[in-house]
Amino acid sequence: MGNMNNYKSENPDSQMKYNRRDFIKKMAIGGSTVILFGCRSLAQPSGGKAKKTLTYSMILADYSKCTGCRTCETVCSAYNHKQMVNGEVLPGLGNPHYSNIKIYSYNPDVDIPVACAMCPDNPCIEACPVASDPKTGRKALYRDEKTLAIKNDLNRCTGCGNCVEACRDQRAGVIIPNPETNKPERMCTLCNGDPQCVKYCPYGALSFVTVSPGREFQGVPADMIAKELTKRWYSIQN
Amino acid sequence: MAHKKPGYHGVLLDINLTTGKSSPKKISSQDIGMFIGGRGLGMKILWDRLKKPGIDPLSPENPLMFMPGPFSGFPIPSSSRTCVVTKSPCTSSLHSSYPFASTVSYSNVGGFFGPEIRFAGYDGIVITGRASAPVYIVIDNDRVEIREAKKFWGMGTDEFDKKFIEELGDRRFRTCYIGPAGENQVSYACIIHTAARAAGRGTGCVMGSKNLKAIAVRGSMIPDVADHKQFLAALEEASQAFKGISGTLLTKIWRRSGTAVSIERSSKKGSMAVKNYREGTFSEIDKIGADAARKFWIRDFACFCCPLSCKKSGVIKNGAYAGLIHDGPEYETGTMFGANLMVSDLEGLMKAVFNGDDYGLDIISTGNVIGFLMEAYEKGIIDKEFLDGIELKWGNIDAILKMIDKIAKREGVGDLASKGVKALSKRIGKDSEKFAIHVKGLELAAWNVHVEPPKGICYATSNRGACHQSGNTVEAQNFRAMIDSIGICRFTTDWGHWYLPGLGSDNFSRILTAITGIEWTKEELMKSGERIFNLEKMINYREGFRRVDDNLPDRFFEEPLSVGSEKGAVLHREKFSEMLDEYYKIRGWDPETTKPGKSRLERLGLSFTLQDHQI
Ligand code: SF4
Ligand code: SF4
Ligand code: SF4
Repeated sequence: MGNMNNYKSENPDSQMKYNRRDFIKKMAIGGSTVILFGCRSLAQPSGGKAKKTLTYSMILADYSKCTGCRTCETVCSAYNHKQMVNGEVLPGLGNPHYSNIKIYSYNPDVDIPVACAMCPDNPCIEACPVASDPKTGRKALYRDEKTLAIKNDLNRCTGCGNCVEACRDQRAGVIIPNPETNKPERMCTLCNGDPQCVKYCPYGALSFVTVSPGREFQGVPADMIAKELTKRWYSIQN
Repeated sequence: MAHKKPGYHGVLLDINLTTGKSSPKKISSQDIGMFIGGRGLGMKILWDRLKKPGIDPLSPENPLMFMPGPFSGFPIPSSSRTCVVTKSPCTSSLHSSYPFASTVSYSNVGGFFGPEIRFAGYDGIVITGRASAPVYIVIDNDRVEIREAKKFWGMGTDEFDKKFIEELGDRRFRTCYIGPAGENQVSYACIIHTAARAAGRGTGCVMGSKNLKAIAVRGSMIPDVADHKQFLAALEEASQAFKGISGTLLTKIWRRSGTAVSIERSSKKGSMAVKNYREGTFSEIDKIGADAARKFWIRDFACFCCPLSCKKSGVIKNGAYAGLIHDGPEYETGTMFGANLMVSDLEGLMKAVFNGDDYGLDIISTGNVIGFLMEAYEKGIIDKEFLDGIELKWGNIDAILKMIDKIAKREGVGDLASKGVKALSKRIGKDSEKFAIHVKGLELAAWNVHVEPPKGICYATSNRGACHQSGNTVEAQNFRAMIDSIGICRFTTDWGHWYLPGLGSDNFSRILTAITGIEWTKEELMKSGERIFNLEKMINYREGFRRVDDNLPDRFFEEPLSVGSEKGAVLHREKFSEMLDEYYKIRGWDPETTKPGKSRLERLGLSFTLQDHQI
């Protein structure tokens, strides 16, 4: 994980308080206002253990470099949607449908890669009604110990869809319910620390970085980012 | 599907707009093995469906096909192309006895449409019939719906692109559609994709004749491959081949300028369409080339899994068209509305390109037609009244914009002009056919031929009329027919002298073998290219196309270039005829009639075409 900068908040509690009403207010003024993502705390959300500062990492897109080629979708799908072939587990064929990163393309041409923003305050986990396991502290939706990526325990998940809604209403809407089970899918796995999308993007548009609260467009839906960038890039007023 | 071949769904989506019914149809494994997919498989279906010569291309019988290839949908670099195959509404033959005789048509378009057809579970879409009122089709995996499109009829492609995706409610749908030109059945209307990519050369006219405004596709499938491990290895090899060259000069040029890099180069070499092909060099070329356009380019965009991003989108910052957002100019659009019409006003040129695309016109043919009218007007063969009062002088952007309007709407002079340059010159007469720049009724593209006789062979022998992409030699033509059938972009192949040394026939055969389980070798691939080209020829031959139809306009033999570094260049009629003789000899075709020889057809597995009593 050589390309991960070690981000540590000096004072987690001083981070901007965040609630849904605030967020909607910001959305409404949106437009030229820089849309910020705030996080309640960088401390581990639940489990009752002693507070520990954690480093959250994510896939960051440079929208000015992305060409909308969707190579990232195919490599993400191949790596994360493995296939059983003659008793052997092999990378999949790269069908973008199974990708955890999605490219949304607009007219005028703007292409927005969207992957899990790894929000430290994880509204998705907060929304999950399944009780925390006393031993692990995990709900049905939880963070992977190594990468801190959001994972779903298929055995405990009830398919209620609360997490899907939370992500859709409060953040970028990356969590998609499985069409049959309604259980959450498409949460970025960070490819276990070796992000394939970053490695294979032919244009160097993606990077593996530390989540930085306050970074522009953090956890913002693609439509809104596209609207803002269209204005910035294609309007002749400025 | 029990007979499914690896690498294919083995299924075509067959939609009849007259009955409103759609159904999956099996594809024979033999056809897959012989014709690959894309252009090749499309041609085989065209042969099977037309059954007889002389069918009106604008009749419900003419199938309109969207054909991805076996590479489509897999993450193979630049495997983004779809071939639109149909019987051409643009071409006609000199002596055929069939009133609606026309050639085959195959139009290649990049972007995301072809891969999505494969994601939806099909190896192609075949549309026949005619809806009684405007409709659009939504294909969502196995759900196919035909919906009313009345409210969209008449809408320009740029606005429609945005409105349609809103109506569909999911940005992950991939769409293609026609503009007013296709609706009005301008013979050279296009099918547009992403408001910026086009399947040109008349396909939009056929779509319009079916009352079909648009198609939307979305899917979640992909065929299996025959050898999973070998496929992954071949893929890695291909992506390494690209890694090796990304950062090289060739990649940089594509990314930096796209095809527009050729605008200045071609003018310098004398190979550009200038002043209705009278010249090959334009003195004001620096005003409309890539370096001039760079000032309003904002970003590069790419097709599915393509590492080149040859497309540029931008916004005009000042002048009469300030605020206009569009992509380009590319080599073809920039030349046909630029140098060919003596336009040096880049902002005006971009406005013309935008309007052309927005109407869904083929800019190659439109620029060619307007160039012809400008010359006829200059020569006094037609007057201002003929032009409905338009002062159609070289370089006059306002007049050009007016003419584009008239053509797309088929108003006044635009109605005649909408039928193409061959029909126009026939109507005008007075020796104007000498500067009506077409072959078999299809207008030449932005590459001039005075300085490049092999390009003349390319135009003269192309199976869809004057196509600049057909290939200058027999080998190039076979190679390109194969490429168009696999579903990959020509710009990333190693063919020729200046394309990327990235992917070659060796890579293709390895990947295709892993995907299909059919032992494809380089030789077999080239042979299927030859097979496909010959099947096209047999369709054309059946329609009545003969050697007289493989000819170039007199201009290239009679009027040497008068400016530029290649001043004096002109084609030599006898030598050109000898080149054609040589061409037919290599092809194994009769030099008098151009009929493909029996033994060649047998060797290619095309004996079935000889059993057709109409040939
Ligand atoms: S691979 Fe890179 S350039 Fe292509 S769509 Fe993904 S982020 Fe954009
Ligand atoms: S769908 Fe599953 S993971 Fe998501 S909130 Fe409901 S129970 Fe938790
Ligand atoms: S890091 Fe891996 S899982 Fe996450 S978006 Fe990239 S490729 Fe997909």
